[in-house]
Amino acid sequence: MSNTAAAAAASSSKSKAAGSSQAPEKRKPLFQKELQHMMYGFGDEQNPLPETVALVEDIVVEYVTDLTHKAQEIGTKRGRLLVDDFLYLIRKDLPKLNRCRELLAMQEELKQARKAFDVDEEKITSLD
Amino acid sequence: MKHSKDPFEAAIEEEQEESPPESPAGGGDDEGRLEIEQTPEESERDVGVRRQPKKFKSSVAVAEGKNKDEDEEEEEENMEAELTKYPTTADPAKMAKMQVILSQFTEDQMSRYESFRRSAFQKGNMRKLLQGVTGSQKISMPVIIVNCGIAKMFVGELVETARVVMGERNDSGPIRPCHIRESYRRLKLEGKVPKRSVPRLFR
Repeated sequence: MSNTAAAAAASSSKSKAAGSSQAPEKRKPLFQKELQHMMYGFGDEQNPLPETVALVEDIVVEYVTDLTHKAQEIGTKRGRLLVDDFLYLIRKDLPKLNRCRELLAMQEELKQARKAFDVDEEKITSLD
Repeated sequence: MKHSKDPFEAAIEEEQEESPPESPAGGGDDEGRLEIEQTPEESERDVGVRRQPKKFKSSVAVAEGKNKDEDEEEEEENMEAELTKYPTTADPAKMAKMQVILSQFTEDQMSRYESFRRSAFQKGNMRKLLQGVTGSQKISMPVIIVNCGIAKMFVGELVETARVVMGERNDSGPIRPCHIRESYRRLKLEGKVPKRSVPRLFR
Protein backbone atom coordinates (compact mmCIF):
# COMPACT_ATOMS: atom_id res chain seq x y z
CA MET A 1 0.00 0.00 0.00
CA SER A 2 2.62 2.44 1.03
CA ASN A 3 4.73 1.30 -1.91
CA THR A 4 2.04 2.04 -4.44
CA ALA A 5 1.33 5.36 -2.79
CA ALA A 6 5.01 6.22 -2.88
CA ALA A 7 5.27 5.00 -6.45
CA ALA A 8 2.26 7.07 -7.43
CA ALA A 9 3.72 10.12 -5.74
CA ALA A 10 7.06 9.54 -7.41
CA SER A 11 5.54 9.08 -10.83
CA SER A 12 3.33 12.16 -10.46
CA SER A 13 6.25 14.27 -9.34
CA LYS A 14 8.29 12.92 -12.25
CA SER A 15 5.61 13.80 -14.74
CA LYS A 16 5.30 17.21 -13.15
CA ALA A 17 9.02 17.67 -13.47
CA ALA A 18 8.90 16.55 -17.09
CA GLY A 19 6.04 18.96 -17.73
CA SER A 20 7.83 21.85 -16.12
CA SER A 21 11.07 21.17 -17.97
CA GLN A 22 9.26 21.20 -21.31
CA ALA A 23 7.34 24.40 -21.04
CA PRO A 24 8.90 27.17 -18.87
CA GLU A 25 12.70 27.13 -18.54
CA LYS A 26 14.08 27.67 -15.09
CA ARG A 27 16.14 30.86 -15.22
CA LYS A 28 19.13 30.53 -13.00
CA PRO A 29 19.98 34.04 -11.90
CA LEU A 30 22.56 35.16 -14.42
CA PHE A 31 23.16 38.78 -13.62
CA GLN A 32 22.12 39.35 -10.07
CA LYS A 33 25.27 40.80 -8.58
CA GLU A 34 26.02 43.13 -11.42
CA LEU A 35 22.41 44.18 -11.61
CA GLN A 36 22.41 45.28 -8.01
CA HIS A 37 25.35 47.60 -8.57
CA MET A 38 23.88 48.80 -11.82
CA MET A 39 20.53 49.64 -10.33
CA TYR A 40 22.20 51.52 -7.54
CA GLY A 41 24.17 53.46 -10.09
CA PHE A 42 21.05 54.38 -11.98
CA GLY A 43 19.04 55.57 -9.02
CA ASP A 44 17.84 52.78 -6.82
CA GLU A 45 18.81 52.25 -3.19
CA GLN A 46 22.15 50.81 -2.23
CA ASN A 47 20.51 47.43 -1.65
CA PRO A 48 17.67 46.99 -4.09
CA LEU A 49 14.88 44.59 -3.22
CA PRO A 50 15.62 41.06 -4.40
CA GLU A 51 12.29 40.71 -6.12
CA THR A 52 12.94 43.90 -8.02
CA VAL A 53 16.35 42.63 -9.14
CA ALA A 54 14.83 39.33 -10.23
CA LEU A 55 12.14 41.10 -12.20
CA VAL A 56 14.62 43.43 -13.89
CA GLU A 57 16.80 40.47 -14.77
CA ASP A 58 13.85 38.68 -16.36
CA ILE A 59 12.97 41.76 -18.33
CA VAL A 60 16.54 42.28 -19.49
CA VAL A 61 16.95 38.65 -20.54
CA GLU A 62 13.72 38.86 -22.48
CA TYR A 63 14.84 42.11 -24.06
CA VAL A 64 18.19 40.71 -25.17
CA THR A 65 16.50 37.55 -26.41
CA ASP A 66 13.95 39.41 -28.49
CA LEU A 67 16.54 41.78 -29.84
CA THR A 68 18.80 38.90 -30.80
CA HIS A 69 15.95 37.03 -32.48
CA LYS A 70 15.20 40.07 -34.58
CA ALA A 71 18.86 40.53 -35.42
CA GLN A 72 19.05 36.91 -36.43
CA GLU A 73 16.12 37.30 -38.75
CA ILE A 74 17.93 40.13 -40.43
CA GLY A 75 21.24 38.33 -40.32
CA THR A 76 20.11 35.12 -41.94
CA LYS A 77 19.36 37.01 -45.13
CA ARG A 78 23.00 37.94 -45.23
CA GLY A 79 24.55 34.82 -43.79
CA ARG A 80 26.02 35.28 -40.34
CA LEU A 81 24.94 37.29 -37.38
CA LEU A 82 26.83 40.54 -37.45
CA VAL A 83 27.12 43.53 -35.22
CA ASP A 84 25.59 45.66 -37.90
CA ASP A 85 22.31 43.85 -37.47
CA PHE A 86 22.11 45.05 -33.90
CA LEU A 87 23.13 48.53 -34.89
CA TYR A 88 20.38 48.57 -37.48
CA LEU A 89 17.80 47.59 -34.87
CA ILE A 90 19.00 50.31 -32.55
CA ARG A 91 19.09 52.97 -35.23
CA LYS A 92 16.08 54.86 -33.90
CA ASP A 93 17.45 55.06 -30.39
CA LEU A 94 20.18 57.64 -30.66
CA PRO A 95 21.77 57.41 -27.21
CA LYS A 96 22.13 53.65 -27.51
CA LEU A 97 23.47 53.89 -31.02
CA ASN A 98 26.11 56.40 -30.07
CA ARG A 99 27.09 54.42 -27.03
CA CYS A 100 27.53 51.32 -29.17
CA ARG A 101 29.68 53.25 -31.60
CA GLU A 102 31.82 54.46 -28.73
CA LEU A 103 32.23 50.96 -27.36
CA LEU A 104 33.23 49.57 -30.72
CA ALA A 105 35.69 52.39 -31.30
CA MET A 106 37.19 51.77 -27.88
CA GLN A 107 37.55 48.10 -28.63
CA GLU A 108 39.33 48.89 -31.88
CA GLU A 109 41.74 51.19 -30.10
CA LEU A 110 42.48 48.63 -27.45
CA LYS A 111 43.15 46.06 -30.13
CA GLN A 112 45.55 48.42 -31.86
CA ALA A 113 47.21 49.20 -28.57
CA ARG A 114 47.69 45.57 -27.80
CA LYS A 115 49.11 44.91 -31.23
CA ALA A 116 51.52 47.78 -30.83
CA PHE A 117 52.49 46.46 -27.44
CA ASP A 118 53.25 43.02 -28.85
CA VAL A 119 55.29 44.52 -31.65
CA ASP A 120 57.27 46.55 -29.13
CA GLU A 121 57.90 43.48 -27.06
CA GLU A 122 59.20 41.63 -30.05
CA LYS A 123 61.53 44.49 -30.85
CA ILE A 124 62.86 44.49 -27.34
CA THR A 125 63.40 40.75 -27.25
CA SER A 126 65.00 40.78 -30.68
CA LEU A 127 67.42 43.50 -29.57
CA ASP A 128 68.58 41.24 -26.77
CA MET B 1 20.30 62.98 1.84
CA LYS B 2 20.63 66.59 0.88
CA HIS B 3 19.11 67.70 -2.35
CA SER B 4 20.34 71.24 -1.97
CA LYS B 5 21.47 72.02 -5.46
CA ASP B 6 21.93 69.71 -8.37
CA PRO B 7 25.70 69.67 -8.95
CA PHE B 8 25.21 69.60 -12.69
CA GLU B 9 23.10 72.71 -12.60
CA ALA B 10 25.56 74.36 -10.27
CA ALA B 11 28.49 73.59 -12.51
CA ILE B 12 26.68 74.62 -15.67
CA GLU B 13 25.56 77.87 -14.13
CA GLU B 14 29.10 78.53 -13.06
CA GLU B 15 30.36 77.94 -16.55
CA GLN B 16 27.71 80.04 -18.15
CA GLU B 17 28.63 82.91 -15.95
CA GLU B 18 32.22 82.72 -17.06
CA SER B 19 31.86 82.29 -20.78
CA PRO B 20 29.18 81.51 -23.29
CA PRO B 21 29.19 77.81 -24.07
CA GLU B 22 30.84 77.01 -27.40
CA SER B 23 29.47 73.53 -27.48
CA PRO B 24 25.84 72.69 -26.85
CA ALA B 25 24.99 72.49 -23.18
CA GLY B 26 25.00 69.11 -21.55
CA GLY B 27 21.27 68.75 -21.62
CA GLY B 28 20.93 69.41 -25.29
CA ASP B 29 23.13 66.99 -27.08
CA ASP B 30 22.78 63.31 -27.50
CA GLU B 31 26.35 62.71 -28.32
CA GLY B 32 27.96 63.93 -25.17
CA ARG B 33 31.32 62.34 -25.47
CA LEU B 34 33.23 63.10 -22.37
CA GLU B 35 36.59 61.89 -21.38
CA ILE B 36 37.50 61.92 -17.77
CA GLU B 37 40.42 60.76 -15.86
CA GLN B 38 38.93 58.32 -13.51
CA THR B 39 40.89 56.92 -10.68
CA PRO B 40 38.95 54.62 -8.41
CA GLU B 41 37.91 56.44 -5.30
CA GLU B 42 39.35 55.11 -2.10
CA SER B 43 36.20 54.76 -0.05
CA GLU B 44 32.66 53.84 -0.88
CA ARG B 45 30.52 56.90 -0.67
CA ASP B 46 26.78 57.19 -0.95
CA VAL B 47 25.29 59.13 -3.76
CA GLY B 48 21.86 60.42 -4.41
CA VAL B 49 21.76 62.29 -7.64
CA ARG B 50 19.38 61.90 -10.54
CA ARG B 51 21.23 61.91 -13.77
CA GLN B 52 20.60 60.97 -17.33
CA PRO B 53 23.25 58.49 -18.31
CA LYS B 54 22.07 58.64 -21.87
CA LYS B 55 23.22 62.22 -22.16
CA PHE B 56 26.54 61.67 -20.56
CA LYS B 57 28.13 59.00 -22.60
CA SER B 58 31.58 58.97 -21.16
CA SER B 59 34.49 57.02 -22.35
CA VAL B 60 37.51 57.48 -20.24
CA ALA B 61 40.99 58.46 -21.18
CA VAL B 62 43.49 57.77 -18.50
CA ALA B 63 46.96 59.30 -18.58
CA GLU B 64 49.07 57.60 -21.17
CA GLY B 65 51.78 55.13 -20.63
CA LYS B 66 51.32 53.85 -17.15
CA ASN B 67 50.40 50.31 -16.24
CA LYS B 68 49.92 48.97 -19.71
CA ASP B 69 50.07 45.37 -18.56
CA GLU B 70 47.44 45.65 -15.89
CA ASP B 71 45.08 47.34 -18.21
CA GLU B 72 45.41 44.91 -20.99
CA GLU B 73 44.50 42.14 -18.66
CA GLU B 74 41.76 44.15 -17.05
CA GLU B 75 40.40 45.10 -20.40
CA GLU B 76 39.25 41.59 -20.93
CA GLU B 77 37.23 41.66 -17.76
CA ASN B 78 35.63 45.04 -17.77
CA MET B 79 35.45 46.94 -20.98
CA GLU B 80 32.92 49.32 -19.67
CA ALA B 81 34.99 50.28 -16.69
CA GLU B 82 36.91 53.44 -16.43
CA LEU B 83 40.32 52.43 -17.68
CA THR B 84 41.27 53.09 -21.23
CA LYS B 85 44.82 54.05 -21.81
CA TYR B 86 44.40 55.97 -24.97
CA PRO B 87 42.34 59.10 -25.37
CA THR B 88 39.61 58.50 -27.86
CA THR B 89 38.50 61.95 -28.82
CA ALA B 90 39.94 64.13 -26.12
CA ASP B 91 37.68 67.09 -25.93
CA PRO B 92 39.33 69.37 -23.40
CA ALA B 93 36.29 71.58 -22.99
CA LYS B 94 34.06 68.68 -22.08
CA MET B 95 36.73 67.09 -19.96
CA ALA B 96 37.07 70.31 -18.02
CA LYS B 97 33.33 70.54 -17.58
CA MET B 98 33.22 67.03 -16.31
CA GLN B 99 36.01 67.67 -13.86
CA VAL B 100 34.18 70.66 -12.49
CA ILE B 101 31.06 68.62 -12.00
CA LEU B 102 32.90 65.74 -10.42
CA SER B 103 34.76 67.94 -8.01
CA GLN B 104 31.46 69.16 -6.62
CA PHE B 105 29.98 65.79 -5.93
CA THR B 106 29.04 64.82 -2.42
CA GLU B 107 30.16 61.48 -1.04
CA ASP B 108 26.76 60.06 -1.82
CA GLN B 109 26.84 61.17 -5.39
CA MET B 110 30.39 60.00 -5.93
CA SER B 111 29.65 56.49 -4.79
CA ARG B 112 26.59 56.27 -6.96
CA TYR B 113 28.49 57.62 -9.93
CA GLU B 114 31.23 55.10 -9.32
CA SER B 115 28.68 52.28 -9.34
CA PHE B 116 27.22 53.67 -12.51
CA ARG B 117 30.54 53.72 -14.28
CA ARG B 118 31.89 50.44 -13.05
CA SER B 119 28.88 48.20 -13.28
CA ALA B 120 28.61 46.10 -16.37
CA PHE B 121 27.27 42.81 -17.50
CA GLN B 122 29.76 40.00 -17.53
CA LYS B 123 30.76 39.09 -21.02
CA GLY B 124 30.89 35.37 -20.21
CA ASN B 125 27.31 35.30 -19.03
CA MET B 126 26.17 37.39 -21.93
CA ARG B 127 27.93 35.05 -24.31
CA LYS B 128 26.12 32.09 -22.76
CA LEU B 129 22.80 33.83 -23.10
CA LEU B 130 23.45 34.73 -26.72
CA GLN B 131 24.57 31.24 -27.56
CA GLY B 132 21.40 29.90 -26.05
CA VAL B 133 19.30 32.29 -28.06
CA THR B 134 21.00 31.93 -31.40
CA GLY B 135 21.87 28.27 -31.09
CA SER B 136 25.25 28.91 -32.65
CA GLN B 137 28.52 28.33 -30.89
CA LYS B 138 30.50 31.29 -32.08
CA ILE B 139 29.42 34.71 -31.02
CA SER B 140 31.88 37.37 -32.07
CA MET B 141 33.26 39.78 -29.54
CA PRO B 142 31.68 42.96 -30.91
CA VAL B 143 28.26 41.38 -30.70
CA ILE B 144 28.77 40.59 -27.03
CA ILE B 145 30.12 44.04 -26.30
CA VAL B 146 27.27 45.76 -28.07
CA ASN B 147 24.71 43.62 -26.27
CA CYS B 148 26.23 44.37 -22.89
CA GLY B 149 26.13 48.07 -23.64
CA ILE B 150 22.58 48.04 -24.92
CA ALA B 151 21.39 46.00 -21.98
CA LYS B 152 23.00 48.33 -19.49
CA MET B 153 21.34 51.33 -21.06
CA PHE B 154 18.05 49.51 -21.05
CA VAL B 155 18.39 48.87 -17.33
CA GLY B 156 19.07 52.56 -16.95
CA GLU B 157 15.90 53.46 -18.79
CA LEU B 158 13.90 51.01 -16.70
CA VAL B 159 15.23 52.26 -13.39
CA GLU B 160 14.89 55.92 -14.26
CA THR B 161 11.35 55.53 -15.54
CA ALA B 162 10.55 53.56 -12.40
CA ARG B 163 11.79 56.47 -10.32
CA VAL B 164 9.59 58.81 -12.29
CA VAL B 165 6.64 56.51 -11.63
CA MET B 166 7.48 56.51 -7.95
CA GLY B 167 7.56 60.28 -7.94
CA GLU B 168 4.14 60.42 -9.50
CA ARG B 169 2.74 58.09 -6.91
CA ASN B 170 4.62 59.86 -4.12
CA ASP B 171 6.28 56.65 -3.06
CA SER B 172 9.64 56.49 -1.42
CA GLY B 173 12.24 53.93 -0.54
CA PRO B 174 13.56 51.13 -2.71
CA ILE B 175 12.04 50.49 -6.08
CA ARG B 176 9.35 47.84 -5.99
CA PRO B 177 8.34 45.42 -8.75
CA CYS B 178 5.10 47.28 -9.37
CA HIS B 179 7.10 50.37 -10.32
CA ILE B 180 9.26 48.35 -12.67
CA ARG B 181 6.20 46.82 -14.29
CA GLU B 182 4.65 50.20 -14.85
CA SER B 183 7.93 51.53 -16.19
CA TYR B 184 8.21 48.57 -18.54
CA ARG B 185 4.68 49.17 -19.77
CA ARG B 186 5.53 52.79 -20.51
CA LEU B 187 8.69 51.87 -22.35
CA LYS B 188 6.68 49.46 -24.46
CA LEU B 189 4.28 52.24 -25.36
CA GLU B 190 7.20 54.41 -26.35
CA GLY B 191 8.42 51.66 -28.61
CA LYS B 192 11.74 51.12 -26.89
CA VAL B 193 11.13 47.44 -26.34
CA PRO B 194 11.29 45.13 -29.34
CA LYS B 195 7.95 43.55 -29.94
CA ARG B 196 7.65 39.92 -30.72
CA SER B 197 5.80 39.07 -33.88
CA VAL B 198 4.59 35.92 -32.16
CA PRO B 199 3.56 36.45 -28.54
CA ARG B 200 5.63 34.56 -26.03
CA LEU B 201 3.86 31.51 -24.62
CA PHE B 202 4.64 29.33 -21.66
CA ARG B 203 7.00 31.59 -19.87
